[in-house]
Amino acid sequence: MTDATLRIDGLSHSFGDRRVLDRVSFEVRPGRLTGFIGANGAGKTTTMRAIVGVLRPDTGAVTFGGRPLDLALRRRIGYMPEERGLYPQMKVADQLVYLGRVLGLSREDAVRRVDALLEDLGLAERAQDVLHTLSLGNQQRAQVAAALVHDPDVLILDEPFSGLDPLAMDTMAARLRERADRGVPVLFSSHQLDLVERLCDDLVLIHAGEVVAAGSAEELREQRAGRRYRVAVGGSPGWSPALAGVEVLAVDDRGTVVELDRAADPQDVLRAAQGAGAVEHFGRVMPSLSELFAEVAR
Amino acid sequence: MSMSASGMTRLVAGREISVKLHDRGFLISTAVFLLVIIGSIAVPALFFSDPPQLRVATTAEARPVAELAASLGAAEERPPGVPEADITVVDASDPVAALDDPEVDASLSIEDGTVVITARDGVDGDLETLVTAASSTLAVEEAAAAADLTDAEVAALVAPPAPAVTLLEPEPDYAVPPQVLIMVFGFLFYFVVLTFGISISQSVVEEKQSRVVELLVAAVPVRWLLAGKVLGNSIMAIGQVALMLAAGLIGASLTGSGDIVEQALGASGWFLAFFVVGFLMLACLWAVAGSLASRIEDLQSTTLYMQLAVMVPFFAALFVTDEGPARVFLSYFPLTAPLLMPSRLVTGDAAAWEPWVALILVLLTAAVLVRIGARLYAGSVLHTSARIKVLAAWQAGASRA
Repeated sequence: MTDATLRIDGLSHSFGDRRVLDRVSFEVRPGRLTGFIGANGAGKTTTMRAIVGVLRPDTGAVTFGGRPLDLALRRRIGYMPEERGLYPQMKVADQLVYLGRVLGLSREDAVRRVDALLEDLGLAERAQDVLHTLSLGNQQRAQVAAALVHDPDVLILDEPFSGLDPLAMDTMAARLRERADRGVPVLFSSHQLDLVERLCDDLVLIHAGEVVAAGSAEELREQRAGRRYRVAVGGSPGWSPALAGVEVLAVDDRGTVVELDRAADPQDVLRAAQGAGAVEHFGRVMPSLSELFAEVAR
Repeated sequence: MSMSASGMTRLVAGREISVKLHDRGFLISTAVFLLVIIGSIAVPALFFSDPPQLRVATTAEARPVAELAASLGAAEERPPGVPEADITVVDASDPVAALDDPEVDASLSIEDGTVVITARDGVDGDLETLVTAASSTLAVEEAAAAADLTDAEVAALVAPPAPAVTLLEPEPDYAVPPQVLIMVFGFLFYFVVLTFGISISQSVVEEKQSRVVELLVAAVPVRWLLAGKVLGNSIMAIGQVALMLAAGLIGASLTGSGDIVEQALGASGWFLAFFVVGFLMLACLWAVAGSLASRIEDLQSTTLYMQLAVMVPFFAALFVTDEGPARVFLSYFPLTAPLLMPSRLVTGDAAAWEPWVALILVLLTAAVLVRIGARLYAGSVLHTSARIKVLAAWQAGASRA
C-alpha cells in the first residue's frame, strides 16, 4: 500500500440536540504515533467510534489510503474501546483466538498469534485463566492483545494507558512504537499529557467537538511558543533587561523569562545580557503540552 | 483475510455452543432432567414387572384345584379378571409343615369340602383369584356331572359366551392417553424454549455489558452476529430436545413398553418439526429482549413478554383439550400452533393437510418476526448506556439492519 494515511474528513455528529462532533478533520500518518487529547466529553471517544464504524456519524467520511473505510478495510483496524470489551467468563486465550478468527484468521494462525502475543505481553501464564480473575492491569494487556491479534494495518486505541503501572506503560509504549515503525498509523487518546508529550510524533487537540490543533508535535509547539525567551546570566541571578517591547514574566533561580512584542529583537536582549555578565543560557521557551492543553481548553 | 456470511455465522454459533457446553449450570440441569426422564420410566416399570412366580404346595385332595389354577394363570387367553401367574405345584401331606420350605409361598388343602389356602403372613392376590376361579369351575363341573348334562352344556356353563361389543366411533387403542403425551411434549418444549431463549438474551446482554459487542460490530455485520447466536442456540435447543426424547424412548423400549415407543415416535415427528420452526420464530425476539437491556439485571423485565409468549402456548395445550372452534383456531394461530396442531394430530382431530397449513403460517410469521427482530437488534445492540425503548431501537435500526 503506497499511502497508508488514515484521513478523517469533516465528521459531524449530534446526540439529540447536543452537537458532539463539529466538522472534525485530521490525519493519522503512517509510521507516526498520533496522540489524541482533549478534556472529558470533548469528543475523542465519539470520533474513534465513528472511525471504527461502531457509530455512524451524521456527516463526514473516513478514508484509508484514499479509499472510503468499508467493512473489509475496517476489519484491518486494531481497536481498543474505551470501556474495554472482552468476555469476562471466557478464558483469555480462547477469546483472543475467537476474536482473531472473527477478524479473519484461520484457527491455526489465530492460535499461533495469540501464543506469541501473550508471551510478548507477559500474559502467557494466565492464558488458560478466565478473564475476570485477572487484575485490571492484566485485563488491559489482554485487551491490547485483542487489538493486535490480527496484525492490523491501523491502530485506534481509546485510553490504552489508563490503569497501567509505569512498567506496563513502558512496555505498551514500546509496542505502539514498534507498530508505528512498521508503517502502521497509530491513533491513541490519553489524559496523561506528559506521556503523550514524550511519545507522540503528531498531536490532535479536540475541544468541545472541534479540532483546535492538529499536526506534528514539534510544529504545534513552535506555533504556540510565541516570543518567550529564558535568559540566565552568570553571577547576576536577578538580571532583568530594561528594553522597549520586552516584558519580564518571571525571575527564578534558572534565570529570567521575558516576552518580546513584535517590534523587539531577541538579539538586543542577548546583547544586553552579555553586557551584564557571562550568558549561561539563552533560548526560546517551548510551552509544555499541558500548557498548550490548558490554553485550548480555556 | 477470509470472511463469508456463513463462515462467520458458524464461528459465532460455535462460540455460543462452546460456552453452553462449558456452563456448569447448564450441564447439571440437563443431567437432572435426563435422570428425571429415565426415573419416571424406570420406577413404574418396577411396579408393573413380570407376572408373579409362585410355588404352591398341595395335598392330594386339593391337587385338581391347584393344577387348574396353575393352568388358568398360564393360559394365553384368560377370561376377564383372571390374572397371569407362573405357578409351580408341588405335593405335600401337611399344609402347615409344607411352609417350612422357604421356597413355598402357600399351600392348598380341602377341609370340610372347602378349599383352604395356608400362607405365612399374607396371600398373593393373584393366587387367591386364580384358586377361587379354579375351585368354582370345578364345583360347576361337579354339579353339571351330577345333573347329567352334556359336554356342550357344561362348557356353556363354565365359560359363558361374552357379549359381542359394537362401537360406532371406536377410540384408537392408545398405550398411553394422548393427553399425557401432549403434556410431556408441552412441558419439554416449554422448558427447552425458555432455557435457550433466555440463553440468547443473556449472551446478547453479556456482550453489551462487557462492550465486546463494540469489537464485534466494528468487524462483523450485525446481522451475521445475530444469525450466529440464533443458529448456535437453536442447535443446542434441538439437540437437547432430541437427547431427552431419545432418553425417554430408549428407556421405554428397555423396560419393554414397545407400544409406548411406537405411539410416541409417531407423534414426535410433527412435534419436532413445529418445535424447530416455533423456536426460530421467537429466537430473534429473544435476542432483542437481550439487546434492549443494558445489564443482566434488566433481563427480568425485558424478557417478560417473551416468557409469556412461551407460557401461553404451554397452558393452552394443557387446558384447551376439547375439540372445538377455540382449539382449531389456536392450532393455526402462529404462537400456539407449534403445540396445539401436533396435539390435535395426536388426539386424531386434525386432517392430514392441516399441519402443513399451520406450518406454513408459522414459517411466514417467523420470516416477519426475524426481520423485525434483526432491525430492533441492530438498533439497540450498540446502545450500551441504558435500557432502550422498542420504538427508539426500531428507528435506530433503520440504518443498520
